[in-house]
Amino acid sequence: MKISQTSGVPIYQQIADAFRADILAGKFKDGEYLPSIRELARDLKISVITTMKAYEQLEAEGLVTAVQGKGFYANAQDSELLKEQHLRKVEESLQSAIFSADLAGITDKELIGMLEALLRVKDL
Amino acid sequence: MQYTNAIEGKNIVKKYKSFTLDVPEVKIPAGFATALIGENGAGKTTLLNILAGIRLDYKGELEYFGEYKDADRDNNPVVKENMGYTGTDNYFLPHWTVEQVKNLSKLLFDNFDEKKFMDIYDELAISSNGSYDGKKKVSELSDGTKTKLALASVLSRDTKLLIMDEPASPLDPLMRDKLCELIRNYLSSGENKSVFFSTHNISDMETVTDYAIIMEHGKIVEEGFVEDLKEKYILVKGEASDAKAAKEVLFTMTESKYGFEGICLSKDLDKLAGMDVVTETASLFQISVAVMKKNSRVK
Repeated sequence: MKISQTSGVPIYQQIADAFRADILAGKFKDGEYLPSIRELARDLKISVITTMKAYEQLEAEGLVTAVQGKGFYANAQDSELLKEQHLRKVEESLQSAIFSADLAGITDKELIGMLEALLRVKDL
Repeated sequence: MQYTNAIEGKNIVKKYKSFTLDVPEVKIPAGFATALIGENGAGKTTLLNILAGIRLDYKGELEYFGEYKDADRDNNPVVKENMGYTGTDNYFLPHWTVEQVKNLSKLLFDNFDEKKFMDIYDELAISSNGSYDGKKKVSELSDGTKTKLALASVLSRDTKLLIMDEPASPLDPLMRDKLCELIRNYLSSGENKSVFFSTHNISDMETVTDYAIIMEHGKIVEEGFVEDLKEKYILVKGEASDAKAAKEVLFTMTESKYGFEGICLSKDLDKLAGMDVVTETASLFQISVAVMKKNSRVK
């Protein structure tokens, strides 16, 4: 995990992003504990409260569960849940594409054409 | 977020001739590192010494580890066994040798681990030639090395709470970095280990500060978890043409002919609508300076 002090992205956000990617990629087994907040703070040379905020954000997203006195475990291994997470992300991205297309006056048909073109390029 | 407090204080008052420390409530969260920040003379050392049990001439109530009152602190050895303290004055008598400091720590505290002391002595390179020099007198050590020796003696005990008065000040940049590492290691070495330190070196200590308490004129003027403070205050920069209007809104502001820069309360950010500004997350240093400036007599 690479943490930048000067990127402008808050450090807790960088940590949350890195763990989110790992959890969604299935790198944590269901119920597997993330590093303890104090160990992670020690290893990343950042404050405890910053790692805590990162984990709390992941908890709010439903990616981890907090157990008092024990820590945070990942709960995205469930393939249905994992698919759900990805689905939500795809929907969000498509929504924002639709929004931008509206602003630019692009018709639905043109938009679908663009998506098809992009899908063809991806497979090449 | 759930946590308990390592120390809770209520209605702490200490009157001097021309200065009064007046703290209706103070809490040091357990499991975190808390920084005490403030101008010279704000009352940091007075408060810290009262909480550490070094000053006894105060009014108010204190509770340690959720169960011991200040009377227990003085009568029940378990409280002081669980607390470590380093100060800015000569904590060890000048004519003592390093060996005497070690032996005295062993005599005074049941939980002093001599092997750990020797390891930390090595790790912090307290001796100038790399091998243990027990005959060296405390008075022959530099200020930085005295601090290292105090850290070694306090960290070689199994404690739950470390209280340190200005630990960073006498240290060089490398040792300050090491100090942060030592604090992180301490916090991760067990359940609910807490650290409470005063500092002027906010930037150097920022990456190890979880909770900040800012004092001015004997009062606590701001406190909170650093991540919450960073949401409460925001850094704003803008054009000189908007400076006058911005001044009405911002918490603190400095301006030049090129533009202005200041700290804004996030809840007031809407009032800057229509101005050409950029916002950034403020550092703890920037927030602390803003709060101090707001309350200071320094012009």
